[in-house]
Amino acid sequence: MNQKLKILPPTMRDKKRYIAFELIFQGHMTREDVIDTIIEGSLYLYGACGTGKFDIWVVKLWKCGKNTSPHGNPDENYMRGIIRCRREEVESVRAVLPTITRFRGKHLVFHTLGISGTIKSATKNFIKV
Amino acid sequence: MEGNYSTKKNYRENFYDLNISGNRSIIEEAERLGFAGVSLTYNFDDYNSEISKEYDELKLESNILIRKCLEISCKNPEELKKKVQRSRKKADIIMVRGGDNRINRAACEERNVDILSQPYRNRRDSGMNHVLSRQAAENDVAVEINLSSLLKTNLRYRHRIISQFRHIMDLKRKYGFSVVISSGARSSYDQRNPMDIFALSNCFGMTKNESFEALSTIPKHIIDRNDERDNFVLDGVKTVVEL
Repeated sequence: MNQKLKILPPTMRDKKRYIAFELIFQGHMTREDVIDTIIEGSLYLYGACGTGKFDIWVVKLWKCGKNTSPHGNPDENYMRGIIRCRREEVESVRAVLPTITRFRGKHLVFHTLGISGTIKSATKNFIKV
Repeated sequence: MEGNYSTKKNYRENFYDLNISGNRSIIEEAERLGFAGVSLTYNFDDYNSEISKEYDELKLESNILIRKCLEISCKNPEELKKKVQRSRKKADIIMVRGGDNRINRAACEERNVDILSQPYRNRRDSGMNHVLSRQAAENDVAVEINLSSLLKTNLRYRHRIISQFRHIMDLKRKYGFSVVISSGARSSYDQRNPMDIFALSNCFGMTKNESFEALSTIPKHIIDRNDERDNFVLDGVKTVVEL
């Protein structure tokens, strides 16, 4: 029988940061697609060795509907989400997001909304759904 | 041209993107992302009175600072000089599209040019060397790092663009010419948040202060210099209007 590992003491755990982001895209994207694009972007920018250090994890995603601004494109969809990464690598992970420009031939863009130390404060301060 | 990334006020307010082109939505997006001003870039050969009218309308309607930039593309240095003289009165900012060795050099030697855009375009090297760097520093010509050339290049060749940017930054540190970062955006998908640009520019070896200068202090300096250009009589001599 598999026994669950005991949780590490707080001093031994990696320090994390949570990056809140906004994703604007055309067409349809699932959670898996978002994860794939971020990991792929990181692999292209830093390679397997660099990406391994980041501990990237997409924690949560919110679908925010379509673009409603008067001059905007009505086919655009909005999503917001939170990525978890190691505290020391937060700037490197942040640099990955603007390099992602396309998904399956369609345009997409990531904008960072902010960085926080907890999921709760990231949601409260930046996601605001 | 002094700027510091650390002050809280500068942190949000004074970012400028000197190379975007498009309609009202792209200006609105720039405002939403935290830019204090943008310059709308038009091609010198396509520029006419209709475009000028369109620009005036956009300028009236927008809430951020808008300036007009003419991008000059030419085949030889003589053509460049003629086009620069003809466009000086029409535009707030003059940008020369680089790439060719002779054009890069002529642009760096021309005082009326504000920005040399993408000297590395279609090249294996960065398009800059110690001679051009000295000239650019002497004539106050800024060199543009265009993010769209990084983001639109095939993933396989991105490393080359990064190394070209890195080389430009190495020369900048030694010879002290100005560098501006611009998005080169043609749609809202090409625009990036200033803080994301800071993080991205870290990939090609720019420090936060350098990125801040390239995105805020130097563009502001270029805009202010051109706003006052009519008042300059000679180098160092300016007409002061008493109120």
